[in-house]
Amino acid sequence: MSAILAIREEQRDCLQELTNVAMGQAGDRLARLLDTFVILSIPHIAVMSPSDIAMTLQSIDTARSISGVCQGFIGGGIAGEAILLFNDTSFQDLAKLMKYDDELDQQAERELLMDTTNVLFGACLRGLGEQIDQGFSFASPMLLGQHQDINELFNIKNARWENALVTEINYQLEGYSVNCDLLIVIADESVDLLLKKLDFMLD
Amino acid sequence: MPNSDDFLKEFHWLMDVLQDIDVGLVVLNKDFEIELWNSFMQNHSAKLPTHVLGKNLFEMFPEVPAAWFQRKVQTVFTLHNPAFTTWEQRPYLFKFLNYRLITGVADFMYQNCTILPLTNTSGQIEHICIIIYDVTEVAVNRLQLQKANDQLHTLSRTDGLTRLLNRKAWEQSLEEEFKRFQRNNAAVSLIMFDIDHFKKVNDGYGHPAGDEVIRATANILRASQREIDIAGRYGGEEFAVILLNCDADGAKVFAERLRQSIENFTVTHNGIDIKYTISLGISELGPCISNPTDWIETADKGLYQAKENGRNKSVIFSKK
Repeated sequence: MSAILAIREEQRDCLQELTNVAMGQAGDRLARLLDTFVILSIPHIAVMSPSDIAMTLQSIDTARSISGVCQGFIGGGIAGEAILLFNDTSFQDLAKLMKYDDELDQQAERELLMDTTNVLFGACLRGLGEQIDQGFSFASPMLLGQHQDINELFNIKNARWENALVTEINYQLEGYSVNCDLLIVIADESVDLLLKKLDFMLD
Repeated sequence: MPNSDDFLKEFHWLMDVLQDIDVGLVVLNKDFEIELWNSFMQNHSAKLPTHVLGKNLFEMFPEVPAAWFQRKVQTVFTLHNPAFTTWEQRPYLFKFLNYRLITGVADFMYQNCTILPLTNTSGQIEHICIIIYDVTEVAVNRLQLQKANDQLHTLSRTDGLTRLLNRKAWEQSLEEEFKRFQRNNAAVSLIMFDIDHFKKVNDGYGHPAGDEVIRATANILRASQREIDIAGRYGGEEFAVILLNCDADGAKVFAERLRQSIENFTVTHNGIDIKYTISLGISELGPCISNPTDWIETADKGLYQAKENGRNKSVIFSKK
Protein backbone atom coordinates (compact mmCIF):
# COMPACT_ATOMS: atom_id res chain seq x y z
CA MET A 1 0.00 0.00 0.00
CA SER A 2 1.32 3.38 -0.93
CA ALA A 3 2.54 5.36 2.05
CA ILE A 4 1.03 8.47 0.54
CA LEU A 5 -2.47 7.08 0.29
CA ALA A 6 -2.20 5.75 3.85
CA ILE A 7 -1.24 9.15 5.27
CA ARG A 8 -3.15 9.84 8.48
CA GLU A 9 -4.96 13.06 9.21
CA GLU A 10 -2.64 13.89 12.13
CA GLN A 11 0.43 13.32 9.93
CA ARG A 12 -1.00 15.62 7.32
CA ASP A 13 -1.74 18.25 9.96
CA CYS A 14 1.73 17.87 11.36
CA LEU A 15 3.34 18.34 7.95
CA GLN A 16 1.14 21.32 7.27
CA GLU A 17 2.09 22.85 10.59
CA LEU A 18 5.80 22.21 10.05
CA THR A 19 5.64 23.75 6.61
CA ASN A 20 3.73 26.68 8.02
CA VAL A 21 6.39 27.33 10.63
CA ALA A 22 9.11 26.88 8.01
CA MET A 23 7.35 29.37 5.80
CA GLY A 24 7.12 31.82 8.66
CA GLN A 25 10.86 31.63 9.17
CA ALA A 26 11.47 31.77 5.44
CA GLY A 27 9.17 34.76 5.15
CA ASP A 28 11.17 36.54 7.82
CA ARG A 29 14.50 35.85 6.10
CA LEU A 30 13.08 36.75 2.72
CA ALA A 31 11.67 40.01 4.05
CA ARG A 32 15.12 40.94 5.30
CA LEU A 33 16.78 39.98 2.04
CA LEU A 34 14.22 41.53 -0.26
CA ASP A 35 13.15 44.51 1.88
CA THR A 36 9.52 43.75 1.32
CA PHE A 37 6.71 42.00 3.12
CA VAL A 38 6.09 38.48 1.86
CA ILE A 39 2.48 37.38 1.84
CA LEU A 40 2.30 33.62 2.18
CA SER A 41 -0.69 31.37 1.90
CA ILE A 42 -1.25 28.53 4.34
CA PRO A 43 0.43 25.45 2.84
CA HIS A 44 -1.99 23.11 1.17
CA ILE A 45 -1.12 19.42 1.26
CA ALA A 46 -2.49 17.20 -1.50
CA VAL A 47 -1.90 13.82 -3.07
CA MET A 48 -1.27 14.06 -6.80
CA SER A 49 -0.85 11.57 -9.61
CA PRO A 50 1.53 11.99 -12.55
CA SER A 51 -1.36 13.20 -14.69
CA ASP A 52 -2.11 15.97 -12.16
CA ILE A 53 1.50 17.08 -12.35
CA ALA A 54 1.47 16.86 -16.14
CA MET A 55 -1.60 19.09 -16.21
CA THR A 56 0.10 21.62 -13.96
CA LEU A 57 3.19 21.63 -16.15
CA GLN A 58 1.11 22.11 -19.26
CA SER A 59 -0.01 25.47 -17.97
CA ILE A 60 3.56 26.61 -18.49
CA ASP A 61 4.04 28.10 -21.87
CA THR A 62 7.11 30.10 -22.74
CA ALA A 63 5.14 32.32 -25.06
CA ARG A 64 2.50 33.15 -22.49
CA SER A 65 2.45 34.59 -19.03
CA ILE A 66 3.35 31.54 -16.96
CA SER A 67 6.92 30.36 -16.49
CA GLY A 68 8.16 27.46 -14.41
CA VAL A 69 11.40 26.46 -12.75
CA CYS A 70 12.24 23.10 -11.18
CA GLN A 71 14.80 22.42 -8.49
CA GLY A 72 15.66 19.03 -7.08
CA PHE A 73 16.61 18.34 -3.46
CA ILE A 74 17.78 15.33 -1.55
CA GLY A 75 18.82 14.56 2.02
CA GLY A 76 18.72 11.52 4.32
CA GLY A 77 16.74 9.50 1.80
CA ILE A 78 14.10 12.16 1.42
CA ALA A 79 14.16 13.45 -2.12
CA GLY A 80 11.87 15.38 -4.37
CA GLU A 81 11.56 18.25 -6.69
CA ALA A 82 10.12 21.69 -6.28
CA ILE A 83 8.26 23.45 -9.05
CA LEU A 84 7.87 27.19 -8.89
CA LEU A 85 5.18 28.60 -11.17
CA PHE A 86 5.28 32.30 -11.88
CA ASN A 87 1.82 33.60 -12.76
CA ASP A 88 1.48 37.06 -14.26
CA THR A 89 4.80 38.08 -12.87
CA SER A 90 6.39 41.24 -14.13
CA PHE A 91 10.08 40.86 -14.93
CA GLN A 92 10.64 44.53 -14.16
CA ASP A 93 9.26 43.97 -10.68
CA LEU A 94 11.25 40.80 -10.23
CA ALA A 95 14.41 42.65 -11.24
CA LYS A 96 13.65 45.47 -8.79
CA LEU A 97 13.00 42.93 -6.08
CA MET A 98 16.23 41.02 -6.67
CA LYS A 99 18.10 44.32 -6.95
CA TYR A 100 19.04 43.45 -10.46
CA ASP A 101 19.99 46.63 -12.27
CA ASP A 102 21.63 45.30 -15.42
CA GLU A 103 19.81 45.38 -18.72
CA LEU A 104 16.94 42.87 -18.88
CA ASP A 105 17.51 40.64 -21.88
CA GLN A 106 16.11 37.14 -22.20
CA GLN A 107 19.21 35.69 -20.57
CA ALA A 108 18.79 37.99 -17.59
CA GLU A 109 15.10 37.14 -17.30
CA ARG A 110 15.92 33.46 -17.11
CA GLU A 111 18.56 34.09 -14.50
CA LEU A 112 16.05 36.10 -12.48
CA LEU A 113 13.53 33.26 -12.56
CA MET A 114 16.16 30.77 -11.45
CA ASP A 115 17.55 33.00 -8.73
CA THR A 116 14.10 33.78 -7.41
CA THR A 117 13.26 30.09 -7.31
CA ASN A 118 16.46 29.31 -5.50
CA VAL A 119 15.80 32.00 -2.92
CA LEU A 120 12.12 31.26 -2.30
CA PHE A 121 12.42 27.50 -2.30
CA GLY A 122 15.76 27.41 -0.48
CA ALA A 123 14.38 29.51 2.35
CA CYS A 124 11.36 27.26 2.71
CA LEU A 125 13.11 23.91 2.57
CA ARG A 126 15.83 25.04 4.92
CA GLY A 127 13.18 25.92 7.51
CA LEU A 128 11.52 22.55 7.05
CA GLY A 129 14.87 20.75 7.27
CA GLU A 130 15.75 22.48 10.52
CA GLN A 131 12.56 21.27 12.16
CA ILE A 132 12.89 17.65 11.13
CA ASP A 133 16.65 17.82 11.71
CA GLN A 134 17.61 17.02 8.18
CA GLY A 135 19.94 18.98 5.90
CA PHE A 136 19.28 18.92 2.17
CA SER A 137 21.44 19.19 -0.91
CA PHE A 138 20.05 21.25 -3.77
CA ALA A 139 20.51 20.80 -7.47
CA SER A 140 20.83 23.91 -9.54
CA PRO A 141 17.45 25.25 -10.66
CA MET A 142 16.29 24.37 -14.16
CA LEU A 143 14.07 26.52 -16.31
CA LEU A 144 11.24 24.45 -17.81
CA GLY A 145 10.55 24.47 -21.52
CA GLN A 146 13.81 26.13 -22.43
CA HIS A 147 15.42 23.26 -24.29
CA GLN A 148 12.78 20.65 -24.32
CA ASP A 149 9.10 20.51 -24.92
CA ILE A 150 7.50 20.11 -21.48
CA ASN A 151 5.39 17.24 -22.77
CA GLU A 152 8.57 15.43 -23.76
CA LEU A 153 10.31 16.25 -20.51
CA PHE A 154 7.68 14.75 -18.25
CA ASN A 155 5.82 11.89 -19.86
CA ILE A 156 3.12 10.35 -17.70
CA LYS A 157 3.78 6.90 -19.14
CA ASN A 158 7.40 7.06 -18.06
CA ALA A 159 6.76 8.36 -14.57
CA ARG A 160 8.40 6.01 -12.09
CA TRP A 161 5.90 6.82 -9.37
CA GLU A 162 2.17 6.60 -8.89
CA ASN A 163 1.41 9.08 -6.17
CA ALA A 164 3.22 12.09 -4.87
CA LEU A 165 2.72 14.20 -1.81
CA VAL A 166 2.49 17.80 -2.91
CA THR A 167 2.78 20.80 -0.64
CA GLU A 168 1.52 23.91 -2.32
CA ILE A 169 2.29 27.44 -1.15
CA ASN A 170 1.36 30.71 -2.77
CA TYR A 171 3.69 33.70 -2.51
CA GLN A 172 2.88 37.31 -3.10
CA LEU A 173 5.18 40.21 -2.48
CA GLU A 174 3.73 43.40 -1.17
CA GLY A 175 3.99 46.26 -3.62
CA TYR A 176 5.24 44.11 -6.49
CA SER A 177 3.46 42.36 -9.28
CA VAL A 178 4.97 39.01 -8.36
CA ASN A 179 2.74 36.04 -7.74
CA CYS A 180 3.98 32.49 -7.68
CA ASP A 181 3.04 29.02 -6.55
CA LEU A 182 5.56 26.70 -5.02
CA LEU A 183 4.85 22.99 -5.31
CA ILE A 184 7.08 20.63 -3.35
CA VAL A 185 6.64 17.19 -4.87
CA ILE A 186 7.77 14.17 -2.86
CA ALA A 187 7.36 10.62 -4.15
CA ASP A 188 6.36 7.47 -2.29
CA GLU A 189 9.67 6.09 -0.94
CA SER A 190 10.64 9.47 0.43
CA VAL A 191 7.26 10.01 2.01
CA ASP A 192 7.75 6.83 4.03
CA LEU A 193 10.85 8.28 5.67
CA LEU A 194 9.27 11.69 6.07
CA LEU A 195 6.24 10.19 7.82
CA LYS A 196 8.52 8.27 10.19
CA LYS A 197 10.11 11.58 11.11
CA LEU A 198 6.67 13.09 11.65
CA ASP A 199 5.57 10.15 13.81
CA PHE A 200 8.67 10.59 15.89
CA MET A 201 7.70 14.21 16.48
CA LEU A 202 4.08 13.35 17.20
CA ASP A 203 5.01 10.80 19.90
CA MET B 1 40.70 8.13 21.14
CA PRO B 2 42.78 9.27 18.20
CA ASN B 3 45.96 11.04 19.13
CA SER B 4 47.07 14.29 17.56
CA ASP B 5 49.32 12.46 15.15
CA ASP B 6 46.34 10.57 13.69
CA PHE B 7 44.42 13.77 13.46
CA LEU B 8 47.29 15.40 11.61
CA LYS B 9 47.49 12.49 9.17
CA GLU B 10 43.77 12.61 8.53
CA PHE B 11 43.89 16.35 8.08
CA HIS B 12 46.74 15.92 5.65
CA TRP B 13 44.94 13.57 3.31
CA LEU B 14 41.74 15.59 3.61
CA MET B 15 43.69 18.59 2.41
CA ASP B 16 45.05 16.49 -0.45
CA VAL B 17 41.51 15.73 -1.53
CA LEU B 18 40.59 19.42 -1.50
CA GLN B 19 43.76 20.27 -3.37
CA ASP B 20 43.48 17.68 -6.08
CA ILE B 21 39.76 17.28 -6.61
CA ASP B 22 38.84 18.02 -10.21
CA VAL B 23 36.64 21.01 -9.48
CA GLY B 24 37.68 24.53 -8.58
CA LEU B 25 37.40 25.46 -4.91
CA VAL B 26 37.67 29.04 -3.71
CA VAL B 27 36.89 30.26 -0.21
CA LEU B 28 36.09 33.94 0.28
CA ASN B 29 35.52 35.96 3.42
CA LYS B 30 32.92 38.71 3.81
CA ASP B 31 35.27 41.24 2.21
CA PHE B 32 35.64 39.01 -0.84
CA GLU B 33 39.24 38.23 0.01
CA ILE B 34 40.48 34.86 -1.21
CA GLU B 35 41.31 32.41 1.59
CA LEU B 36 41.50 29.11 -0.28
CA TRP B 37 42.68 28.45 -3.81
CA ASN B 38 42.98 24.79 -4.75
CA SER B 39 45.17 23.34 -7.47
CA PHE B 40 42.39 23.27 -10.07
CA MET B 41 42.13 27.03 -9.71
CA GLN B 42 45.86 27.39 -9.52
CA ASN B 43 46.48 25.38 -12.68
CA HIS B 44 43.78 26.96 -14.78
CA SER B 45 44.42 30.53 -13.73
CA ALA B 46 48.23 30.24 -13.67
CA LYS B 47 48.11 32.11 -10.37
CA LEU B 48 49.78 30.61 -7.32
CA PRO B 49 48.06 30.65 -3.93
CA THR B 50 50.84 32.95 -2.66
CA HIS B 51 49.82 35.37 -5.37
CA VAL B 52 46.05 35.40 -4.69
CA LEU B 53 45.55 34.57 -1.01
CA GLY B 54 44.40 37.55 1.01
CA LYS B 55 43.70 39.53 -2.17
CA ASN B 56 40.35 40.91 -3.20
CA LEU B 57 38.55 38.70 -5.75
CA PHE B 58 37.43 41.56 -7.97
CA GLU B 59 40.89 43.13 -8.07
CA MET B 60 42.53 39.85 -8.97
CA PHE B 61 39.85 38.81 -11.46
CA PRO B 62 38.22 41.82 -13.09
CA GLU B 63 36.15 39.48 -15.31
CA VAL B 64 33.96 38.60 -12.31
CA PRO B 65 31.09 41.12 -12.41
CA ALA B 66 31.25 42.62 -8.92
CA ALA B 67 27.70 43.95 -8.50
CA TRP B 68 26.12 40.79 -9.80
CA PHE B 69 28.32 38.52 -7.73
CA GLN B 70 27.82 40.49 -4.52
CA ARG B 71 24.07 40.34 -5.00
CA LYS B 72 24.26 36.59 -5.42
CA VAL B 73 26.43 36.20 -2.35
CA GLN B 74 24.11 38.39 -0.32
CA THR B 75 21.41 35.72 -0.58
CA VAL B 76 23.89 33.10 0.64
CA PHE B 77 24.78 35.15 3.72
CA THR B 78 21.19 36.11 4.51
CA LEU B 79 19.41 32.84 3.78
CA HIS B 80 22.26 30.46 4.67
CA ASN B 81 21.47 28.77 1.41
CA PRO B 82 23.56 27.85 -1.63
CA ALA B 83 23.28 29.92 -4.78
CA PHE B 84 23.85 28.71 -8.32
CA THR B 85 24.95 29.98 -11.67
CA THR B 86 24.82 27.89 -14.83
CA TRP B 87 26.68 28.29 -18.10
CA GLU B 88 23.42 29.04 -19.82
CA GLN B 89 23.03 32.25 -17.84
CA ARG B 90 26.71 33.15 -17.62
CA PRO B 91 29.16 31.07 -19.63
CA TYR B 92 31.82 31.43 -16.94
CA LEU B 93 32.71 33.09 -13.66
CA PHE B 94 36.48 32.92 -14.13
CA LYS B 95 37.70 33.22 -17.67
CA PHE B 96 39.91 30.18 -18.22
CA LEU B 97 41.12 29.74 -21.77
CA ASN B 98 40.96 26.44 -23.58
CA TYR B 99 44.18 24.59 -22.97
CA ARG B 100 43.72 21.48 -25.12
CA LEU B 101 45.20 22.14 -28.56
CA ILE B 102 43.71 19.11 -30.26
CA THR B 103 40.62 18.02 -28.40
CA GLY B 104 39.60 21.41 -27.01
CA VAL B 105 36.14 22.28 -28.32
CA ALA B 106 35.60 25.84 -27.13
CA ASP B 107 37.63 29.01 -26.72
CA PHE B 108 37.11 29.08 -22.97
CA MET B 109 35.88 26.87 -20.17
CA TYR B 110 32.11 26.85 -19.67
CA GLN B 111 31.39 26.72 -15.96
CA ASN B 112 28.59 25.92 -13.58
CA CYS B 113 29.16 27.40 -10.14
CA THR B 114 27.70 26.71 -6.74
CA ILE B 115 28.21 29.17 -3.92
CA LEU B 116 27.98 27.50 -0.51
CA PRO B 117 27.65 29.12 2.91
CA LEU B 118 30.34 27.97 5.38
CA THR B 119 29.40 28.06 9.05
CA ASN B 120 32.02 28.81 11.68
CA THR B 121 32.23 27.08 15.07
CA SER B 122 29.53 29.35 16.50
CA GLY B 123 27.11 28.67 13.63
CA GLN B 124 27.60 31.96 11.85
CA ILE B 125 28.36 32.44 8.19
CA GLU B 126 31.60 34.32 7.72
CA HIS B 127 32.88 32.56 4.64
CA ILE B 128 31.52 31.25 1.39
CA CYS B 129 32.90 28.58 -0.88
CA ILE B 130 32.71 28.79 -4.67
CA ILE B 131 32.74 25.47 -6.49
CA ILE B 132 33.61 25.70 -10.18
CA TYR B 133 32.58 22.82 -12.44
CA ASP B 134 34.04 22.48 -15.92
CA VAL B 135 31.01 21.82 -18.16
CA THR B 136 32.59 22.76 -21.48
CA GLU B 137 31.75 19.52 -23.25
CA VAL B 138 28.14 19.46 -22.12
CA ALA B 139 27.73 23.08 -23.10
CA VAL B 140 29.33 22.68 -26.51
CA ASN B 141 27.27 19.58 -27.29
CA ARG B 142 24.09 21.33 -26.34
CA LEU B 143 24.94 24.44 -28.32
CA GLN B 144 25.74 22.33 -31.39
CA LEU B 145 22.51 20.42 -31.03
CA GLN B 146 20.60 23.66 -30.71
CA LYS B 147 22.29 25.05 -33.82
CA ALA B 148 21.50 21.92 -35.81
CA ASN B 149 17.88 22.08 -34.68
CA ASP B 150 17.65 25.74 -35.64
CA GLN B 151 19.06 24.97 -39.07
CA LEU B 152 16.60 22.11 -39.53
CA HIS B 153 13.78 24.37 -38.46
CA THR B 154 14.79 27.03 -41.00
CA LEU B 155 15.30 24.43 -43.73
CA SER B 156 11.90 22.91 -43.16
CA ARG B 157 10.27 26.32 -43.59
CA THR B 158 12.23 27.59 -46.57
CA ASP B 159 11.62 27.13 -50.26
CA GLY B 160 14.86 25.87 -51.79
CA LEU B 161 14.77 27.85 -55.03
CA THR B 162 13.70 31.25 -53.75
CA ARG B 163 14.60 31.15 -50.04
CA LEU B 164 11.14 32.59 -49.35
CA LEU B 165 8.86 30.74 -46.93
CA ASN B 166 7.56 27.51 -48.41
CA ARG B 167 3.85 26.99 -48.77
CA LYS B 168 3.36 25.14 -45.50
CA ALA B 169 5.22 27.70 -43.41
CA TRP B 170 3.56 30.59 -45.19
CA GLU B 171 0.11 29.12 -44.64
CA GLN B 172 0.91 28.81 -40.96
CA SER B 173 1.71 32.52 -40.87
CA LEU B 174 -1.47 33.28 -42.79
CA GLU B 175 -3.48 31.46 -40.15
CA GLU B 176 -1.70 33.30 -37.34
CA GLU B 177 -2.35 36.67 -38.95
CA PHE B 178 -5.98 35.72 -39.53
CA LYS B 179 -6.34 34.94 -35.82
CA ARG B 180 -4.51 38.11 -34.86
CA PHE B 181 -7.01 40.11 -36.90
CA GLN B 182 -9.89 38.56 -34.90
CA ARG B 183 -8.24 39.91 -31.76
CA ASN B 184 -6.98 43.35 -32.70
CA ASN B 185 -8.76 44.24 -35.98
CA ALA B 186 -5.65 45.97 -37.35
CA ALA B 187 -5.77 46.32 -41.13
CA VAL B 188 -4.03 43.47 -42.96
CA SER B 189 -3.96 42.68 -46.66
CA LEU B 190 -3.05 39.71 -48.79
CA ILE B 191 -1.55 39.81 -52.27
CA MET B 192 -1.47 36.71 -54.49
CA PHE B 193 0.38 37.06 -57.76
CA ASP B 194 1.76 34.94 -60.55
CA ILE B 195 4.02 35.31 -63.53
CA ASP B 196 2.16 35.97 -66.79
CA HIS B 197 2.57 33.30 -69.47
CA PHE B 198 5.16 31.49 -67.40
CA LYS B 199 4.70 28.36 -69.51
CA LYS B 200 6.01 30.30 -72.49
CA VAL B 201 9.19 31.17 -70.59
CA ASN B 202 9.73 27.52 -69.77
CA ASP B 203 8.89 26.31 -73.27
CA GLY B 204 10.79 29.05 -75.06
CA TYR B 205 13.96 29.29 -72.97
CA GLY B 206 14.06 26.02 -71.01
CA HIS B 207 13.41 25.21 -67.38
CA PRO B 208 16.68 26.65 -66.02
CA ALA B 209 15.62 30.00 -67.49
CA GLY B 210 12.21 29.55 -65.83
CA ASP B 211 13.96 28.95 -62.51
CA GLU B 212 16.01 32.08 -63.03
CA VAL B 213 12.82 34.10 -63.62
CA ILE B 214 11.27 32.70 -60.44
CA ARG B 215 14.41 33.49 -58.45
CA ALA B 216 14.55 37.04 -59.85
CA THR B 217 10.88 37.57 -58.95
CA ALA B 218 11.56 36.41 -55.38
CA ASN B 219 14.54 38.77 -55.11
CA ILE B 220 12.53 41.76 -56.30
CA LEU B 221 9.72 40.82 -53.92
CA ARG B 222 12.20 40.59 -51.04
CA ALA B 223 13.70 43.95 -51.93
CA SER B 224 10.29 45.67 -52.11
CA GLN B 225 8.69 44.26 -48.97
CA ARG B 226 8.99 45.68 -45.47
CA GLU B 227 10.61 43.57 -42.82
CA ILE B 228 7.29 42.74 -41.16
CA ASP B 229 5.62 41.54 -44.35
CA ILE B 230 5.41 37.79 -44.84
CA ALA B 231 6.30 36.58 -48.31
CA GLY B 232 6.13 32.99 -49.51
CA ARG B 233 6.22 30.88 -52.63
CA TYR B 234 2.70 29.52 -52.89
CA GLY B 235 3.11 27.20 -55.87
CA GLY B 236 5.13 26.86 -59.10
CA GLU B 237 5.03 30.45 -60.36
CA GLU B 238 2.63 31.72 -57.73
CA PHE B 239 3.68 33.96 -54.87
CA ALA B 240 1.86 35.33 -51.85
CA VAL B 241 2.60 38.12 -49.43
CA ILE B 242 0.83 39.24 -46.28
CA LEU B 243 1.09 42.98 -45.63
CA LEU B 244 0.67 43.83 -41.96
CA ASN B 245 -0.93 47.11 -40.87
CA CYS B 246 -1.84 47.78 -44.46
CA ASP B 247 -5.30 48.40 -45.97
CA ALA B 248 -6.33 47.62 -49.56
CA ASP B 249 -5.20 51.03 -50.84
CA GLY B 250 -1.77 50.63 -49.26
CA ALA B 251 -1.54 47.13 -50.69
CA LYS B 252 -2.47 48.52 -54.12
CA VAL B 253 0.48 50.96 -53.91
CA PHE B 254 2.78 48.08 -52.96
CA ALA B 255 1.39 45.85 -55.72
CA GLU B 256 1.80 48.53 -58.38
CA ARG B 257 5.38 49.20 -57.31
CA LEU B 258 6.19 45.51 -57.44
CA ARG B 259 4.46 45.11 -60.82
CA GLN B 260 6.43 48.03 -62.31
CA SER B 261 9.74 46.85 -60.84
CA ILE B 262 9.28 43.48 -62.52
CA GLU B 263 8.05 45.00 -65.79
CA ASN B 264 11.22 47.14 -65.90
CA PHE B 265 13.52 44.29 -64.97
CA THR B 266 15.32 42.06 -67.42
CA VAL B 267 16.44 38.54 -66.57
CA THR B 268 19.54 37.53 -68.49
CA HIS B 269 20.02 33.80 -68.88
CA ASN B 270 22.81 32.37 -71.05
CA GLY B 271 23.15 35.75 -72.75
CA ILE B 272 19.47 35.94 -73.64
CA ASP B 273 17.35 38.76 -72.21
CA ILE B 274 13.97 37.73 -70.90
CA LYS B 275 11.23 40.27 -70.18
CA TYR B 276 8.15 39.25 -68.27
CA THR B 277 5.26 40.64 -66.22
CA ILE B 278 3.08 39.62 -63.27
CA SER B 279 -0.59 39.93 -62.36
CA LEU B 280 -1.71 40.56 -58.82
CA GLY B 281 -4.88 40.14 -56.76
CA ILE B 282 -5.37 42.06 -53.52
CA SER B 283 -7.71 41.31 -50.65
CA GLU B 284 -7.95 43.24 -47.41
CA LEU B 285 -9.17 41.10 -44.53
CA GLY B 286 -12.63 42.07 -43.29
CA PRO B 287 -15.58 40.63 -41.40
CA CYS B 288 -17.08 39.01 -44.50
CA ILE B 289 -14.06 36.71 -44.84
CA SER B 290 -14.67 33.84 -42.46
CA ASN B 291 -11.48 31.76 -42.67
CA PRO B 292 -7.94 31.81 -44.11
CA THR B 293 -9.00 29.73 -47.14
CA ASP B 294 -11.67 32.30 -48.02
CA TRP B 295 -9.06 34.99 -47.71
CA ILE B 296 -6.85 33.26 -50.28
CA GLU B 297 -9.86 32.72 -52.55
CA THR B 298 -10.77 36.40 -52.54
CA ALA B 299 -7.20 37.41 -53.41
CA ASP B 300 -7.23 34.72 -56.12
CA LYS B 301 -10.42 36.20 -57.57
CA GLY B 302 -8.67 39.57 -57.78
CA LEU B 303 -5.84 37.80 -59.57
CA TYR B 304 -8.22 36.23 -62.13
CA GLN B 305 -9.77 39.63 -62.78
CA ALA B 306 -6.28 41.05 -63.37
CA LYS B 307 -5.64 38.26 -65.86
CA GLU B 308 -8.99 38.82 -67.60
CA ASN B 309 -8.30 42.55 -67.84
CA GLY B 310 -5.23 41.83 -69.92
CA ARG B 311 -2.51 40.84 -67.39
CA ASN B 312 0.33 42.97 -66.00
CA LYS B 313 -2.25 44.54 -63.67
CA SER B 314 -3.21 44.56 -60.01
CA VAL B 315 -6.83 44.35 -58.91
CA ILE B 316 -8.39 44.81 -55.48
CA PHE B 317 -11.06 42.21 -54.95
CA SER B 318 -14.28 43.48 -53.47
CA LYS B 319 -17.59 41.70 -52.97
CA LYS B 320 -20.25 43.30 -55.11
